Amino acid sequence: MSSAPYNYNYIFKYIIIGDMGVGKSCILHQFTEKKFMANCPHTIGVEFGTRIIEVDDKKIKLQIWDTAGQERFRAVTRSYYRGAAGALMVYDITRRSTYNHLSSWLTDTRNLTNPNTVIFLIGNKSDLESTREVTYEEAEEFAKENGLMFLEASAMTGQNVEEAFLETARRIYQNIQEGRLDLNASESGVQHRPSQPGRTSLTNEVPNNKDQCSC
Amino acid sequence: MMTIDEEQQALLNRAAEERELIFNRYSLGLDPTNQVDPWENPTYEIYHITDKYGFMHDSRLPDRRDSHEIQRTKIELERDKKWHKMLADWNPRHEKLRKRVFKGIPDRMRWPAWKKLLNVEESMATNEKVYQNMLDLSRKYSTEVRQIDSDVNRQFRDNLAFRERYSVKQVSLFNVLNAYSIYNPELGYCQGMACVAGVLLLYMQEEEAFWALNALIVNEKFAMHGLFIEGFPKLTRFLEHHDRIMLKIMPKLHKHFMKHNVDAILYSIKWFFVVFVERIPFSLSLRVWDIFLLEGDRVITAMAITILYLHKNELLRLKDMDTILEYLQVKLHKNFGYNDDYAIEALERVMKKLKEHKLDVPPPAKVNEFPTKPLGQFVEADVEKKIGRRRSEYTDTEKQVISDVILRQEQNAIEVQSTVSYETSECATGDAYSMKTYQSITSLATSPAISSNSLYSNGFFVTITPPPPPRATTITTTTTETTAITSTTQISNQHNMNSSSSSAIIGTRNNSDVGHNKRSTRTELEFEDPYQLPNGEHSFVFDKQNERYGIEQNDINILITNYDQKQRQRSTLQVGGQADDDDDDDDDELSVENTRL
Repeated sequence: MSSAPYNYNYIFKYIIIGDMGVGKSCILHQFTEKKFMANCPHTIGVEFGTRIIEVDDKKIKLQIWDTAGQERFRAVTRSYYRGAAGALMVYDITRRSTYNHLSSWLTDTRNLTNPNTVIFLIGNKSDLESTREVTYEEAEEFAKENGLMFLEASAMTGQNVEEAFLETARRIYQNIQEGRLDLNASESGVQHRPSQPGRTSLTNEVPNNKDQCSC
Repeated sequence: MMTIDEEQQALLNRAAEERELIFNRYSLGLDPTNQVDPWENPTYEIYHITDKYGFMHDSRLPDRRDSHEIQRTKIELERDKKWHKMLADWNPRHEKLRKRVFKGIPDRMRWPAWKKLLNVEESMATNEKVYQNMLDLSRKYSTEVRQIDSDVNRQFRDNLAFRERYSVKQVSLFNVLNAYSIYNPELGYCQGMACVAGVLLLYMQEEEAFWALNALIVNEKFAMHGLFIEGFPKLTRFLEHHDRIMLKIMPKLHKHFMKHNVDAILYSIKWFFVVFVERIPFSLSLRVWDIFLLEGDRVITAMAITILYLHKNELLRLKDMDTILEYLQVKLHKNFGYNDDYAIEALERVMKKLKEHKLDVPPPAKVNEFPTKPLGQFVEADVEKKIGRRRSEYTDTEKQVISDVILRQEQNAIEVQSTVSYETSECATGDAYSMKTYQSITSLATSPAISSNSLYSNGFFVTITPPPPPRATTITTTTTETTAITSTTQISNQHNMNSSSSSAIIGTRNNSDVGHNKRSTRTELEFEDPYQLPNGEHSFVFDKQNERYGIEQNDINILITNYDQKQRQRSTLQVGGQADDDDDDDDDELSVENTRL
């Protein structure tokens, strides 16, 4: 394990935020495991997921912090905003209150991240069209006004989940290419790991430590 | 109105019909037209994937019980009898209570035993009708209902009792949490409480669970109020204490964590909030709960240390934050690597050791960890709370938390910075050369030249990529640090060697790996008693001097390794004696099994 070379070029740190019950953990699970987690327990504090993706032939490890939605935890979770390169801000299209709270989430995010942090707005539960309370248009408008990227997605069907994560990564990568991100600054949320060509290993892709456990 | 005779006749007819029907079904036999409920068939999958606690698994559980399990059942039946007796004549100071709790309360006895340990019956008797009152009030006034609803729907969804929406247990959980949020309005509802109440409800009735939850929250012994209340003062206090113990007992692992930015809050918040449920296998968390209910919150501190101790070597091998957290958050839940008895015995040892070193309890709680307002007195919530609007301003408590968390992070950063090349200390196990290197580095590290490097530029770019990194990659280093990297390479090679022998451990922890362990024991035993600090003090303040010269000496390893050896000797005894009789509790030989799963 220790001898595994890095098989990715960058690490991007993401945070997922939003009201309780909007499906933050399910979105993360859908992205990392490619399936819907029906038994998803509520998040206490912060949880964590990773996946390696490819942008422009570069391997990027996404390090995703999933935060508790209950307001009581916000003082604890907010310390994880620091140094996020991407922030996925989630609301539930079937619950208006979760949409109404977006500006408060946005203020928090803006205050605690760097100006180049890419913020992606996700309207989750797009599969529940019949109980929709927030229209696509108004959310799109909100995103436009605040300079956010935006998609409606469904952690249940997987629709647009992949896209949201990848689009965010592309934008971050673009920021790097255009020199807007200082890779040496801790707050950039990006770490550069020069990979060693010719040494590939799967260990980092399977963080299950298979060699440690005998299951 | 039917006459009595007519009624009797009707009943007779019905019995005859039923008889006929049942006979018919058997005549039909396997004929596809025969009516069979899904659960009646052996193939009914749910039975095969559900464990004894009602949790469903991804794949089938073994059909047959192995000899060990049969033996266990036998022991548990014997223990049932003892517990029956003990509970009938309950005395919290019963001489064998502690010993028996550590062996695990038999599952069938958890209901009565937990109620006794939490004084449930007394609470119910002295608070007649209170629960119903609270429940009624909550129906009208609960402001936490949405959060609770959302969490109830997500709690133990993989358990038969909770999986169905609006099942009896889901309703009970919903009721208990809502009623409690009214009963203790200062606390309200906090995520994590659903899990605690959920565990209680697996063993208790609704109202019992309410009072049991209340005991866990307000009794000084458990005092979960301070964990769940806004600002989480108890969490902060326990985290600080955890760090203190880590520094003293497992400094190497502590620095390893700091180096990879693994703050204890990341892995331990759930350990503390829900007493290890969903972080270690459920059966083991129940064993921890047994002891927790008997001994109180010091068990949480000790179990946290036990987990890290037992997995120290694996954790030291993981070289980035992701894999470390994955290991602690996911892997240990699926497979703890040690059987429950083994883990609990390690816990007992750790508890004893922490006590000897006066580290078993954190500094005392401040008043803000306990309810300041009387319980059960209804207070109507304000409009903002009723609407459930997110507050835009941070409260003073929240501001305090924020600065606490940041302070922690900064302190940790400073620690890492001052010992950035701690890896060399891994060679310090008897390697004079690297010990020297380590010392020179630590002393250098405090010089301004190095401390001016930010944590992150160190932490991020010191790539531990053995075999030897071709160029010193992107590192901007001093010569000393380059030395450090070379040594790291050696260490990692050593690691590779170790990992080949540790694969033996993975199989079974029996004689086959004794050789390996003995070797390491010998090396470690060359050091003096780790707990004989020069000044004999057990200061809470971490002492750099001690660390530098005692980095290995301070390691709890020696004690536990000795213990391991003892256990190993014991395990060589015949496994499979007789179940014990009532008077002596000598089933240790049976229950101790040093097999790593």
